[in-house]
Amino acid sequence: MTTHAPRSNYVAIWVWLVLLMAAGVAASFLPGARALAVTAIFATAVAKALLVALHYMHLKLEPWVIYAIALIPVTLVAILALTLLPDFSFHH
Amino acid sequence: MAIQVQEQPFYGLTPAKVGIWWFLASEIMLFGGFIASFVVFRLGATGWAEAARHLNVTIGIVNTLILLTSSLTIVLALAAIQRGDEAALRRFLGLTILLGCAFLGFKVIEYTGELRAGYAPWTGTFWSFYYAMTGLHALHVLGGIVVNVVLLVTTEWRRRSPHRIEVAGLYWHFVDIVWIFLFPLLYLA
Amino acid sequence: MSPLPQSGMSAPHAAGHGEAGFWRAYVFSTDHKTIAKQYLAWGLFWTVVGGLLTVPMRWQLAWPGSDVPGWGVVGASEYNVLVTMHGTIMVFFVAMPILLGAFGNFLIPLMVGARDMAFPRLNMLSIWVFGLASLVLLVSFFVPGGAASAGWTGYPPLSGKVEYTGSNWGLTLWLLAHALEFAAFLMGGVNFLTTALTLRAPGMTLMRMPLAVWHQLAATLIFLLSVGPLIAGAVMLLLDRLIGTRFYVPGSGGDPLLWQHLFWFFGHPEVYVLLLPPVGFVCEVLPVFSRKPIFGYRWILWATGGVVGLSFIVWAHHMFVSGMDPRLAMPFSISTILISVPVAWVLFAMIATLWRGSISFETPMLFALGFIAMFVFGGLTGIFNGSAPVDIYLRGTYFVVAHFHYTLFSSTVFGAFAGFYYWFPKMFGRMLSEPLGKLHFWLTVVFFNLTFFLMHNIGLAGMARRTADPRPFEMLQPHQWINEWATVASFLLLAAQIPFVVNVIRSLVAGAPAPVNPWQASTLEWSVASPPPHLNWGEALPVVERGPYEYSVPGESQDWLPQRRPLATGA
Repeated sequence: MTTHAPRSNYVAIWVWLVLLMAAGVAASFLPGARALAVTAIFATAVAKALLVALHYMHLKLEPWVIYAIALIPVTLVAILALTLLPDFSFHH
Repeated sequence: MAIQVQEQPFYGLTPAKVGIWWFLASEIMLFGGFIASFVVFRLGATGWAEAARHLNVTIGIVNTLILLTSSLTIVLALAAIQRGDEAALRRFLGLTILLGCAFLGFKVIEYTGELRAGYAPWTGTFWSFYYAMTGLHALHVLGGIVVNVVLLVTTEWRRRSPHRIEVAGLYWHFVDIVWIFLFPLLYLA
Repeated sequence: MSPLPQSGMSAPHAAGHGEAGFWRAYVFSTDHKTIAKQYLAWGLFWTVVGGLLTVPMRWQLAWPGSDVPGWGVVGASEYNVLVTMHGTIMVFFVAMPILLGAFGNFLIPLMVGARDMAFPRLNMLSIWVFGLASLVLLVSFFVPGGAASAGWTGYPPLSGKVEYTGSNWGLTLWLLAHALEFAAFLMGGVNFLTTALTLRAPGMTLMRMPLAVWHQLAATLIFLLSVGPLIAGAVMLLLDRLIGTRFYVPGSGGDPLLWQHLFWFFGHPEVYVLLLPPVGFVCEVLPVFSRKPIFGYRWILWATGGVVGLSFIVWAHHMFVSGMDPRLAMPFSISTILISVPVAWVLFAMIATLWRGSISFETPMLFALGFIAMFVFGGLTGIFNGSAPVDIYLRGTYFVVAHFHYTLFSSTVFGAFAGFYYWFPKMFGRMLSEPLGKLHFWLTVVFFNLTFFLMHNIGLAGMARRTADPRPFEMLQPHQWINEWATVASFLLLAAQIPFVVNVIRSLVAGAPAPVNPWQASTLEWSVASPPPHLNWGEALPVVERGPYEYSVPGESQDWLPQRRPLATGA
């Protein structure tokens, strides 16, 4: 299991996480189109989440079933959000 | 022949590992329900950006750093017990607990400041979401701290097996990931 | 690598096993079979409560304004409480604990060859939390303001403020009871999935698992993945009520429609959570009582997978007239009608199982056949409801009431009885009386249809759901006889359960001891004593060497082959 497989450099990942957080904060001050800034902010959030999931939660080393258990709910949340958009985001 | 035969294997996964991931799947749906609702409301609402400006971004950044670091310390705790280093395990687990408490402490400071400034959960829908989501998250942080404390103080070696530290770590990382999304959603966007 | 322990319980040497005292054996038990019975006990208690709640309700509809004996006149607010709590209790406190809590807990470890669930103490915690949920719901009847009365669906704004229903603590406790119930079933859900995946006996590959287990897993999966958003929504509703947040308050940035989406995102998958376990039971009963393998094991798995997937994307068919964006109507109509395909597939597989089988009509089989017949009815009316233009007329009428009683009753009652009569000997070590069982079946199927069939008609005539008093509606007066008819039939339906109660009590007290395998069935649970001993399998786990439905295999001397390899020396 995870005991005997090669593991990531946890501290290096942490450095990346901090850098990504700083990038996200910086992006929030970007002038110009808000949509661009928001996209950048969320890109950093997704990247951080992936780093934590893949390296700290050792998802990289797990069999595909664990990926499935993690990804299916994320997909469902996306479906929920998309379906809610017409009713709440575009106002009548 | 009366021998205890091995169960049918499932990708080499222990019950504990499978169990915790299923639990995390249900938690993704819980926080995802809140987050999806918040996102669609935010996109359609007026005045939420204005309301969000009253959040303390500095504390938000500090708390994000705290949780990211606590994820590091708890995975280092796992690495420690996997190589049999009891002292390092206790050190890193203890640090994780301290960082978790610091997070909660800052949340209390934040909430007090906001309430004093007149921003209560009923002040508007943005604030309702803010308090509900961060409150629910904080409860989960508290739960994680309790589990980690139990793992730290228990002297029975079987209780503090690498499997259990790993499971506790997986829960803790999840709580961190939820914050990784809550922070930009609430404070930055 | 060290062998994977079954969560610390290796062979019969786990902590504290030997003679267990009363408390350890019956109250604080971690044995899945005992926990199953505890869920069953709660479920049966609530069945009585939920069933009796219909008496004043139906009385009021048949003879409005008259005095219900032992109750008084049913006022409008009271009526709302009755209809709300009937729905809530039947879905969350009868169907869930019986179908999943009782049957799931009892069957899964036995059918996969495990000694117990993966997390036995978590299992015990779950029944305790469920017990607490039940107590909270019971208390809610007696608080000032009465129990919840905003429908089992609890829509705001009605449920959002105390002033609108008059139910104060009642509705708050209702929400709390749900939260506890959800927590209990999430714990159980993690246990069910983990046990079936990681604790199967040697030789029990996933493709040799009985369909009853697969359907428990499918139901558990659906619940686990759908309940989160509702918990979020319920937290929001609770906060709106208790501290005045603005989630569902229009004019302050909130929107009551959000509740409907969050509720039905769970609420629709929930009906499949209720449907799938009984489908699993029927899939076990049909092969045994036709001495034929189930038709299309893999096809059924694929179809069930299709049901699971599609169940998450049909929910807004409950909201066609809610004021939601009309552009959502077509996609959700399409997905709703589409989901009938895999369900029909499973029903066809069931019928094909019967085809040219050597059929015997014991009580479990009668109820299984009853499920098939009644569910087809319910499924067909679902297609009407699922089509948005038709639903605009039908929504909120008794047509819908008829639809969901045909689908829910056929599954959670007929299907559950099929399972109950089938596994009762294994669970309790006694045989039930066949004549009483047959009487129970025929009375139930007749009075069920008499109660609910004409509701289609009165619904089409325009009678709305949750109508406390039909008298003000002139267009309903020519159809009022249907209300009387349904009421009388419903009382007879309740009375029809008496043979069942008598049967169970007589059997438990003085019934014939059940043999190990009264039905000559091949799945693992029929290879150990009735009831099975603690830790199920004695010294060694069973070794599985074939699939679960090897009946009438050509060339074999007997018409069934057990799943497990026979033990070398007796026992």
